Parts: sequence; structure tokens; C-alpha cells
Amino acid sequence: MSSDPLITRLKHLIVETLNLEDINPDEIDENAPLIGSGLALDSIDALELVVKLEKEFGIKISSSEESKAALASVKALADFIRERSGGAASD
Amino acid sequence: MPAPVRLAACECLTPFGGTADTLAALLRGKSALRATPVLGREGGDAVPLALLPGRALDETAPPAWLAALRGFLAPVCGPDWGAARRPVCVTSSNFGVGSLYAFRRSGDAAHTPHGSTHGSVALVRGACGWGENVTVFSHACVSAHLGLLHAARLVGSGAADEALVVSYDFLSPFVAGGFHALKILNADFPAPYCERATGSIGLGDGAAFAIVARDRGDFALGAHALHNEMFHATANQPDGAGFATAFAPVARAAAERGLRNLWVKGHGTGTLEAGRLETAAVAAAFPGARLTGWKGGLGHTLGSCGLVELAVAAAAMRGGRAPGVAGGAAPAFADHVALDAIDTGASDGVVCASNAFGGAHAALLLHHV
Repeated sequence: MSSDPLITRLKHLIVETLNLEDINPDEIDENAPLIGSGLALDSIDALELVVKLEKEFGIKISSSEESKAALASVKALADFIRERSGGAASD
Repeated sequence: MPAPVRLAACECLTPFGGTADTLAALLRGKSALRATPVLGREGGDAVPLALLPGRALDETAPPAWLAALRGFLAPVCGPDWGAARRPVCVTSSNFGVGSLYAFRRSGDAAHTPHGSTHGSVALVRGACGWGENVTVFSHACVSAHLGLLHAARLVGSGAADEALVVSYDFLSPFVAGGFHALKILNADFPAPYCERATGSIGLGDGAAFAIVARDRGDFALGAHALHNEMFHATANQPDGAGFATAFAPVARAAAERGLRNLWVKGHGTGTLEAGRLETAAVAAAFPGARLTGWKGGLGHTLGSCGLVELAVAAAAMRGGRAPGVAGGAAPAFADHVALDAIDTGASDGVVCASNAFGGAHAALLLHHV
């Protein structure tokens, strides 16, 4: 389990948002790709996730390229959210 | 080889006006796209949209675009169309979905008669006075190609004397919001087939009609291919096989007819991945052909784009010059991308391509009779 509360929160948010019933959030590798390989999410999953993240964290993802970069991994997503929220999303 | 059917007429309506005005504006490098709040009166991010002059994004009841569409379709109104041997094919990707959205947001029941597919088509059919023989086609952004292919088959087989294809798509906050949610409609203006860090599209109002006949018209519909790769709802096969499959029969037909000097009017919305795949597929299927696309000036007119851009392409063939990539700027993905105008005076024909969500592809060869 990660000691970073934001990463833990994101893992749970991903599982809940996408109804990944067979996946334990703690088992998600924070460095594994979210799209394609790794969790094997597709572009529709990414769309759902982006909508949820924008609401949950009050951030803006402005293009599909930015979305791909942000969703590269859970860790990349955490870094992106911190950068966009000025570090306010750490807990 | 049977004689191909002909394009007896093909006209479009865009924010620039009719076909001639649209071609002239694109040749001058103009763009109809304006930064517009994505949700209309409800605001939201400003994104590039091209609306008919004087039209707001928000829906009225009856739809404000109907009068403009009725005026545009005046040459093909009346009961001669929709008769037994003169069928009408109506195509769109969204029909009256803006009215459904307006009803959902406002609760005003005045919007509901225009919202469903059949309601929207009945509205247009009534306004134009067509007969009963009206068939509706919808397959996202290749909708117009689907209707055109069906019309060509009816005429080619002798089941119809002539056929009318009508396509229309008018923007609404629902449609713009959907593309915005996908992040491909964003604050940037589109630059199809060009190297950029961020891909982006614009959307536009558009309508068009075509008359398909056996023995009148100065252009032939030489070959027409439709293919659905069914790889993913919002993505193409990464190797570009879907594009190649759609282009292959058209390239074969062009070779069989001895048509070697071709140019290509591509789909080119401005997204990076699909744009790269299309650029490469064009080079492989039509070596030496220059590739252009006009959605950077017109916006993506969705289901009507195949017919809207066919009208412009036919006019460009007649006029001797086709606009280069609208909104494009160096560096392009490849050397065959035409950032400047194409001299069509000596060309044998043009390949018009459209692509759609769900992996659908269409390619049409238009050549002089």
C-alpha cells in the first residue's frame, strides 16, 4: 500500500468510478500504465475518469493529449493533480 | 466495367454561404470558425465553432436552422422528389438532437416534435414537399457517404431514374459538449495534418444535396468504398489498416480507368493520431497525390461532411484550383500534404474521404465523364 494518501485516494476513485469490481485498489501498481496495458483501460474509461477527476479535484484537463499524459499511471495522475491544484490535493 | 453513375448536381450550405462562396472563402484562406461558448447560453469553455450567420448555438422551436435549410433546398423541393422512381435519401449524424437537449434542459414541450430522427426528417420532408419515398441513413460522420452510395446503387441498378441525397447537421450544445468532453474539441483551432503538441477539432453547421443520375452530369462517381474496421468506438487500428482497406478498391478502380493524376480531399478533423494514419494511408494508396482538407476552415460538419466537401471538391475541379489545408501551417505530417492551393486543371479526378467514430471509413472517386 502506498504511503501517499493522494495515490491511495486515486486508486479507490478509479476502482469506484469504473466499477472495477474484481480489482483491489491496493493491488494497483502506481507506476503501471492505466490505458492500454496495465489496468487496460480504454478511451471510454478515460473519458469517465477525466469527468470524475475534474469534478472531484476542481482541475481542468484541456486536450486529449494532456489527458493521455495525466493518465499515464496513478503516480503521473497524482503529480498532475498536485501541479494543477498547487499542492492542495495532497490529502 | 459498367458505366458509373453521374453526379448531376451537388451543392452545399456552410457559414460562408453556398458552394461557390465556400470555395472562394477557402481559397482566400478564410475560416468560419469562431471561439464560442461550448454550451451556448449556458457558457462553458470557448471552442472553435462555425455557425450559420445569425444563428445561435441554442435551439429554438421550431429549429432556427430550418428556414435556412428550406431556402437552400428550394431547387430540390416539390413532389417530384420522393416519388416511386425518384427517391430521397436523407442523412445526418444528429438530426434534431439539439431539440431533445433543449427539451431536457428547459422542459418546453414545443421542442419535442423536432427532436427524434423521424420527427426531424418529417419536418424537413414537410417543408420541402417531398413524396413518401424517403429513406433515412445515419452512421456518424460517414452518413452522407452511406446515403450517396445507396442512391448510386439505386440509379445504377435501374431501380430509380434519379435519386436525391440530402444531408444536414446543425450544431447544438449537446453535440459540442460531447466532443468537448472527449477533449478533442478544445480551445485550440484545428490544423489538420500538421505537427503540433495538441490535436484539436472545430465543429460547423453544414448541409448539402446531391442528385445522382445515369446520363446527366459532368462528373462520374467512379468508385465508392465503405469499410468499418470495428476496432474501437473512438479509436482506429494503430497500423492504419482501416484507412488502407477503404482506399484499396478506389485506388484499384482509378488504375483500371487509367486515372493517374489524382488529388485527395481527406477527412482531416485535426486530431493527431487519425490525421497521421490518414496521411500515411493516402501516400501508400495514391502515390504522388496531394492531400488537402477543409475542416480547419469549415469545422467538422459531422454527418454532412462527406457531401458538403464533395460539393466543394467538384467545384474545385471545375474551377481549376482546390484550397490547400484550411488552418494548416508548417510543419505538416508529410510532403504530400498541400498547405497551398492545388492546381486541379490537369487532374484526372479527386478522391474524397470521410471517417467516423466506430472505425467507419468512406472513400469516393470523382472523375470527369
